[in-house]
Amino acid sequence: MSVDAVYQPDEAGIATDLVRRIAAGDAAAEVSLVERYSRGLLYLLRRLGAPPELAEDLHQETFRIVLERLRRRELDEPAGLAGFLRGTARNLMTAERRKTARRRTDADSEGLESAVHPAPGQLSAVLLEEEAAIVRRLIGEMPTERDRQLLLRYYVAEEEKESICTALGLDSLHFNRVLFRARHRFKELLVRFQERQGPAAHIG
Amino acid sequence: MMDHTHVEAQEVVDRYVMGKLSAEEAERFEEHYLSCPECLDRLELAESMQRGFKRAAGQDVARLAAARQLALVAWLSRLGRSRQMAVLAMAVLVIAILPAGLALREIGERDRELARERERSAAGSQSAAEAGKLRAELQTSRRDLAREREARASAAEQLAQARQPQANVPILFLDAERGAGEPSVRLRLPSKPGWIVLALTIDPPYQPSYRVILRDAKGREVWRGGDLRLDERDSLSLSLPSTLLAPGDYTLAVEGLAPGRQPAAAGRFAFRVLPAA
Repeated sequence: MSVDAVYQPDEAGIATDLVRRIAAGDAAAEVSLVERYSRGLLYLLRRLGAPPELAEDLHQETFRIVLERLRRRELDEPAGLAGFLRGTARNLMTAERRKTARRRTDADSEGLESAVHPAPGQLSAVLLEEEAAIVRRLIGEMPTERDRQLLLRYYVAEEEKESICTALGLDSLHFNRVLFRARHRFKELLVRFQERQGPAAHIG
Repeated sequence: MMDHTHVEAQEVVDRYVMGKLSAEEAERFEEHYLSCPECLDRLELAESMQRGFKRAAGQDVARLAAARQLALVAWLSRLGRSRQMAVLAMAVLVIAILPAGLALREIGERDRELARERERSAAGSQSAAEAGKLRAELQTSRRDLAREREARASAAEQLAQARQPQANVPILFLDAERGAGEPSVRLRLPSKPGWIVLALTIDPPYQPSYRVILRDAKGREVWRGGDLRLDERDSLSLSLPSTLLAPGDYTLAVEGLAPGRQPAAAGRFAFRVLPAA
């Protein structure tokens, strides 16, 4: 997979180099691999539905499996390292879900309690409220009712861009502009809030 | 190939967060963002923004509902006592008496028809047997009306119950059965009617959509759902009212649907429903 050279160096080249060095026993390359993919892998696992603790466990387990495999033998396609990491993480997550399903063979109360999604912690609850408050402010700052409608239809109703543009009589350029400004402003307000709250103010 | 120009132009980040990317596109993007801090920043921002919008919209809906209720109470309190009674009487009329009135009108029609038949019978134009038949029809109509009233009351009760938030919803995680035999997964019916969630893990190859047929132990179709799509965990989740299920064994046949192709079996899931404790 190639990425824009302006933003990121050649992924295929870096992946191939890491795979070859790990196969040759270079411990520093192992550290580089973990540093490079750690955040993305953790995000992917959370995205697949793993709660924070499980995501941490599967994150470590993925690296353990991948590193052991690379120490034994190079990949047939070293450039596909990201795909290998992604596949390993997804397989672990699938296995975990199957394991959980087998444990819950009856709808007993204990099983149900563990199936209930935990309520957000106090800090997360504050952050969630702040996100909603920022959105209100953002909507209030929109210059026209049409732009407000655009954001609500896109983010709340999850309508497609084309249908929103048709319904509101907008061109694609205007749509992109409104979205870009909204994102920029949201980020600005969120960062300001996180700075006030300190480094823990992130919803994981 | 995926680069930031493509990510930007195709709104890949937002579409990924909203679960609108195709499986292939999502795979390419995941492989890309694993090592891309910039896309990870954008993903976290998009998630945060979407969460904020949904939460704000949810709060608005709740506020609006509360405001409407308060407005109704305020309006009622401003009315005089006689007008309040009139509003109440109108509400009762609309909710209860009107449907019953329609049914009574039908009975009235039958009564009049019966009277006409009786007249004709007295004049020797109808036989006593036909009058008896009409009397029987009248009785049937009255029984139908009673049954309809019962069904209406029961439906209203179920609707009220369904609108209540429900805690501890039974969730059944099901894997495809590989062989025959007794179902290993069991579900105890809740003591009160409510919802039951079935989570089916679907194995590849994945299809654009699926249909699900629920059958009881005798092979009778209990429920059928179509045009179902996998969630991001490659699962199908179904919510069923517990009243749909009586104690016994059930199978769920899942079929993959692809345009221009015959439905293909995508898994068979079995479970046993036990009576409420």
